[in-house]
Amino acid sequence: MMAEAKPTDPIDLVAAMAADDSGAPLKEFYALYASTVLALLMKMLGSRAEAEEILQDVFVELWRRASQYDSSRGGVVAWVVTVARSRALDALRARSRRYGNNQQQFFSDRHGIRTDGGRPDVLVSSTRWHQALRQAFQRLSEDQRSVLELSYFLGMSHGQIAETLNLPVGTVKSRILAGMRELRTMLPIIHRSMVA
Amino acid sequence: MSDEKERAELLAALHAAGAASDEDETELRALLEADPSLEKIVKDFQDSIAALASSFDPLETPPKTFAQIQKKIARERGGFFSRLRSWFSKP
Repeated sequence: MMAEAKPTDPIDLVAAMAADDSGAPLKEFYALYASTVLALLMKMLGSRAEAEEILQDVFVELWRRASQYDSSRGGVVAWVVTVARSRALDALRARSRRYGNNQQQFFSDRHGIRTDGGRPDVLVSSTRWHQALRQAFQRLSEDQRSVLELSYFLGMSHGQIAETLNLPVGTVKSRILAGMRELRTMLPIIHRSMVA
Repeated sequence: MSDEKERAELLAALHAAGAASDEDETELRALLEADPSLEKIVKDFQDSIAALASSFDPLETPPKTFAQIQKKIARERGGFFSRLRSWFSKP
């Protein structure tokens, strides 16, 4: 019998993960995204041990939800990142309940959107893709970057951001919209770097 | 751009950035139901922010992690609901 071709398109891979109980598609999916998810979790949580623990939960959840994935609502990367972010925010909220709310300072001081060059556990395999993304993101202004960091990586609503930065809510919304528009203009660059 | 589309764009941006309030989410859902073509705006913003979130240098995962994920999945598959589902699906 002829062996079945391995799905290489991420959307096909998600479909295979939903339909196949062998674990092979999940393994391929994990190989494709785990290191990126771990990097995001580390950025959001700042703790390697916690990030590794949540990494497991993220992939179990992705496996569980594979049959519900709808490509019309966003790409596979967006789906993966959304699940990972949601899990990380849960962990941050739990931490806030335990230790008080100083997440903003924690994120800004130790992380932010910048490179990890020099870390021994950074993989070198995807550097061209990540460098292209980061260069594109340099086009965001500091104001745009800070509101997006607070909303996306710390889960703050526009009201909370306004309070934190001492800005009118309307200004926060405008900066988020301007930042998102700027990010959207980078999509063609991002897509080109993905296939290059 | 129409006022409605501009409003949808703002709400989509807040939604994708994770900054939308419950009221914003409800309003966005209503606008999307009225005009499904607005979904493209949401999708583009979602993909854009996802690219930002995946721009950090990838980190090497521990070798045991995948086996631990498989173990959790196996436990879930063998759980009560899974057994119930397979029992009902028997011919």
